[in-house]
Amino acid sequence: MNLLGVLDISASALTAERQRAEVLASNLANAQTTQTAKGGPYQRQLVVFGTRKAARSTFANAFADFSDRYAQGVEVKRVVPDPTPAVQRFEPGHPDADNQGYVAYPAVDPIEEMVNLMGAARSYELNVAAVQATKNMISQSLQILS
Amino acid sequence: MGSPLSGISPLGQIGAGVETGKPANARSDFFSQLQSALNQVEQIQSEADQQIAGLLNGQGEDIHKAMIAVEKANLSFQLMMQVRNKIIQAYRDVSGTAF
Repeated sequence: MNLLGVLDISASALTAERQRAEVLASNLANAQTTQTAKGGPYQRQLVVFGTRKAARSTFANAFADFSDRYAQGVEVKRVVPDPTPAVQRFEPGHPDADNQGYVAYPAVDPIEEMVNLMGAARSYELNVAAVQATKNMISQSLQILS
Repeated sequence: MGSPLSGISPLGQIGAGVETGKPANARSDFFSQLQSALNQVEQIQSEADQQIAGLLNGQGEDIHKAMIAVEKANLSFQLMMQVRNKIIQAYRDVSGTAF
């Protein structure tokens, strides 16, 4: 692992946060969706993060052993549906209403999703700051010579 | 008089050792390493090129990946320039040696 490898770790975090933001945006967009391809209301999706071995750069394999043990990237392991049951609302005129006139809406709380989305945006920002710090470290080490 | 003359002969052995020994290998080693370092810089640059091209024709790659690839290319190019400057400087120092 060299300093360019540190950039790969931050890049994996940026990718993971972007995917998380994607899923959160999907949850927000489908907060009122009552029809899906597999039938029933939209199910809120949850993102599961896991560690990932840093992509071995071709630039140096010298400290590969070290990087395998300590330096790990992150990735979205899987996206799982939230098992919370759908919210029943009484709307007899709705085309998706059942016999009693209740419509099943997704159990998505827009406020919670917004807070999570802010978290994803902030984490993205954080990792961009890490990229810039690494970049500065490399630039500064290049100035030792000159 | 006999002893100083016998003292000269080991010098020939030392000289022979220098010519056939390590320096020749070390020289080719250095240049092959330099060559492979240059190839790696080129590879990183072509990767950055591909990322940017993919971004421009909408292949759906992440923007940050392209930016980081470009930054890697920039930094490795700067490192290469530092090495190049050092080599040129060493060459000038040696060629400026007064005989």
